[in-house]
Amino acid sequence: MKQTILLGALLVALIGLVALPWFAPYFYIFIVTEILIMGLFAASFNLVFGYTGMLSFGHAAFFGVGCYATAMTLLHLKWPFLYCLVLSVGAGALLALVIGFFSVRLNEVYFAMLTLAFGMMVFSVAHHWRSVTNGSDGIAGFTLGDFGLGLDLTLGNPAVYYHVVLVFVVVAAAVLYLIGRSSFGMILQAIRQNPERVAFCGLNVRSYRLAAFTLGGAFAGLAGGLMAPFLRVASPEMLHWSTSAEPVLMSILGGTGYFLGPFVGSAMFILLETWITSITQAWMLFLGIVLALMVMFFRRGLLGTFLDWWLERK
Amino acid sequence: MQLLKPARLLMTLVAVTGLAGAPAWADDDPIRIGAIYILSGSAANYGKFAQQGIQLAIDEINQDGGVMGRDLEVITEDSQGKASVAIQAARKLVYQDQADVLMGLDSSGVAQGLVPVMPELKKPLIITHAATPDVTGKLCNAYTYRISNNVAQNMKAAAIIAGETGAKRWTTIGPDYAFGHQSWEFFGKALKEANPDVELMSDTAFPRFGAEDFTPFINGVMAAKPDGVLISVWGGDLVNFVRQANNLGFFEQDMEIMFTVGAATEVLSALGEQMPEGVWLSTRYWYDGFDNDVNKRFVSAYIDRYGVPPSYNAEGAYAAVYAYKKAIESAGSTDGDKLAQTLSGMSLDAPNGTIAFRAGDHQALVGPNWGKSGPMNEKHGIRTLADLRILDGEKVSRTIEETGCQL
Repeated sequence: MKQTILLGALLVALIGLVALPWFAPYFYIFIVTEILIMGLFAASFNLVFGYTGMLSFGHAAFFGVGCYATAMTLLHLKWPFLYCLVLSVGAGALLALVIGFFSVRLNEVYFAMLTLAFGMMVFSVAHHWRSVTNGSDGIAGFTLGDFGLGLDLTLGNPAVYYHVVLVFVVVAAAVLYLIGRSSFGMILQAIRQNPERVAFCGLNVRSYRLAAFTLGGAFAGLAGGLMAPFLRVASPEMLHWSTSAEPVLMSILGGTGYFLGPFVGSAMFILLETWITSITQAWMLFLGIVLALMVMFFRRGLLGTFLDWWLERK
Repeated sequence: MQLLKPARLLMTLVAVTGLAGAPAWADDDPIRIGAIYILSGSAANYGKFAQQGIQLAIDEINQDGGVMGRDLEVITEDSQGKASVAIQAARKLVYQDQADVLMGLDSSGVAQGLVPVMPELKKPLIITHAATPDVTGKLCNAYTYRISNNVAQNMKAAAIIAGETGAKRWTTIGPDYAFGHQSWEFFGKALKEANPDVELMSDTAFPRFGAEDFTPFINGVMAAKPDGVLISVWGGDLVNFVRQANNLGFFEQDMEIMFTVGAATEVLSALGEQMPEGVWLSTRYWYDGFDNDVNKRFVSAYIDRYGVPPSYNAEGAYAAVYAYKKAIESAGSTDGDKLAQTLSGMSLDAPNGTIAFRAGDHQALVGPNWGKSGPMNEKHGIRTLADLRILDGEKVSRTIEETGCQL
């Protein structure tokens, strides 16, 4: 029964998202586009954190590299957008494979520090390699051409781009969900709960962690690739550790225990930011208060706390 | 019963004027100006001066009956000096707040990011401060205008003055983004063209924008022993830079020193006597340099209201509001496309003289102001500019072909 209600709610939400441009104020197309992309970024982070139990502080590196990959290919090579995205996914995965190779062998705070260090190295390269990345100004001024596959889409139209993002994010989220439900995903969750026991079962924990980390990087790369045409600029800030903190905060706000938690967290984060900054400049202060209250009283996040309560109710 | 007749007449009159007036009421809605400036961080003071300039212009215009009978109103957003933030702010201003026109931008990096988005927003943008040549060059478009001078103009002027000093070996200290790098590039090119025997040193210093410690960069430049240094550090960074350079004896060296935006009154008030005497300072507009009625009225109104002389950022913002007033009145409309067309080639009387947006690239041909820091102006608490030179805007501007702009 409750399963059906949940599925129904999800379907209604999806229909609402598809129909958004026809009923919401125009500005909210931008807000929801950002929520979707950041939600995917946070969900890719949650594969590493919520499922596998690795707290990475360098996840923005893959997001940012994806964004640069799409921005630079659009600027210099003018590829169709779909191919740019494929490149972004590849770039995110490759970078995650390299960084993960060195990082997943460590645990807890050492893993967090190492990912932070690698993330800041990538940031430094983008910030200083002016001839390639245009330094602190980043890559801007690229134009959107074709989508690819012979589809005739005007990507420059915000409503069209919103639907493109929606399709990509829903498909990517479905894939991420299936990965989490697969036997591979089960092993990742087992690793979070008890890595020794998984190792004693004869499984190579390090390989599984590296695989999860690389997958997370690939999806973060996709989110970054989707972000480039939305922001119209790929800048080093997107690789900075403060950007790495955003999916952490979103996952905690929404709840790491349920698949859709990071998406709900992304919506909370961006809506609160939009509303609060239109009243006061001190948005970070309010975010801090909300976050402190969430961690103290609703440790399972907004979605997690609600679902826990609702599913247990007889 | 007779008494009712005039009452009924009155009622009818009210009803008729009410009905006729209904569409006119919609037009009583204020005309909204969306402004994007840096309002936080080390250059926040620039945003504050710009806001003051806008408010002064709007209050003057509204007291005078507004624009086509409608009041002006401003909504300001913080760019935080980041292109992505500014692009989101512009979308919010246009789609959420229903801004009719946009203005502002302090940073070259922000301008390079936002300008390519303007054709989608379909609203005119007058840049009042950001100086990268690209936005009225290879990135130019039908909606983007600039009322303040750009790096190419100011560096051409700097090269003329640098050539006169006779200094041969030049280096630079500038912020590590578009502005610092392009200042050096355009200065070097113009200087080399006029004086082929000068040496552009490879030892240059580009500290991060917002860096607090400039000591290593200052020491590095002193150790390289140049004859001249071009300094494009600006904002709160420039205040920190000059204080630290004083401590290290930078200004006692035998070097020509040129600050490309050193005569910003925001910086001069913060530094007071700490700004050394006898260095070259430039600004887009010097409040004491223009003997015309518009300037006299602007400067005295500004000082009366805010107690300090207007900076170039205040002047650019003030002038841009009047440019929009003139454009809306000549177009007879607030339609974005019509306004963008009207601005092209339009001229107006600004505090820094009669200026016009060149039709070929939408850049105002305004002359940079250069002078040597002189004795303190005790009343205003800032250095005066001695030997003030206002270079000819036409002469220091690139040709349309050189800009690479295709409209």
